[in-house]
Amino acid sequence: MKAKHLIEENNRKREQLTPENEKYYSDMLIYIRLQLTLSEQQSEEVLMEMLDHLLDGQNEGKTARTIFGDDPKQYADEIIQNLPKEKKREVIPFVSRLVLDLVSWMLMIRGVAILVGSQIKNEAVDSSVYLFSSLLTLSLILGSVAFGVWFIFRTIQRSLFNEHASEKKDMVKVGLFGAISMGLVIAPTMLIPEFGPSFHFSWWASILTGCALWVIVFTLKKLEVGLR
Amino acid sequence: MSLRSQLLKGILDGCILAVIEKEPVYGYELSKKLQEFGLSDVSEGTIYPVLLRLQKNGLIRGEMQPSESGPNRKYYFLTKEGKESLDSIVTEWKQMVGPVNSIFKGRLE
Repeated sequence: MKAKHLIEENNRKREQLTPENEKYYSDMLIYIRLQLTLSEQQSEEVLMEMLDHLLDGQNEGKTARTIFGDDPKQYADEIIQNLPKEKKREVIPFVSRLVLDLVSWMLMIRGVAILVGSQIKNEAVDSSVYLFSSLLTLSLILGSVAFGVWFIFRTIQRSLFNEHASEKKDMVKVGLFGAISMGLVIAPTMLIPEFGPSFHFSWWASILTGCALWVIVFTLKKLEVGLR
Repeated sequence: MSLRSQLLKGILDGCILAVIEKEPVYGYELSKKLQEFGLSDVSEGTIYPVLLRLQKNGLIRGEMQPSESGPNRKYYFLTKEGKESLDSIVTEWKQMVGPVNSIFKGRLE
């Protein structure tokens, strides 16, 4: 069974857990799923086995604590330690798809922005692209996205297995991070000098390229899901 | 860690491989069987990290199959490497258990 189906089945079966067992199991589930470098298929398989076991045990009056021990974090760490890593050929297409998806949206938004800008200002907006400046901006954005993912995951991780976790505090933390990283991306982008080879890239070409790229990424995703 | 759990940790791989060799089982069945054999203090969850490691090392392989009670379960089978590994664990164990027994024999209970 594919990981996607296992996840759906897991969601259904989890509803049969008692509130106490559900809390214990869900914390472990999130903690294990946050390990992005591990094989998704293997992770979902063992999570399903543990859930089935817990449900069988629950029918016999056992609790998650008697089955998996008093320290869910330590138990989950043991599971993680023994799970195989995701293969590179699964990771590279996944990450490139995310990046290309982002680039396609940036191209479309850029096209629209130039069009709208020139309408408002009633004069042509400079639509040249400076190769090195653009690459620098793109890597800044990718860097802040990667850091953001890491930061949010870490915040979630710290809130697990913790009776006193404060959701509000975490939300403020993540919100602040979002604002600061936005600023950190926008400020340098405005300061980056225009350098490197440049070419003219009109608003309609930008939108067209963006759309085409988006369709390609979307089709690849559908194809890949179909092939699995 | 108690002495018993330390001893158990060393030999649990062998026990699990031996149960799977008799017939393919899924996790819950496996823990039931270990308990029936008298290893009642193996906390049930202990088997999953071990099963993952044995799988990673190619000693067992898992396959989703419909269970007797209906729903799909992941059944574990012993591989050729698993059989070889079990053979050597059993040999080692026998070489250990005989001498240890003779040393302990004759002690006043």
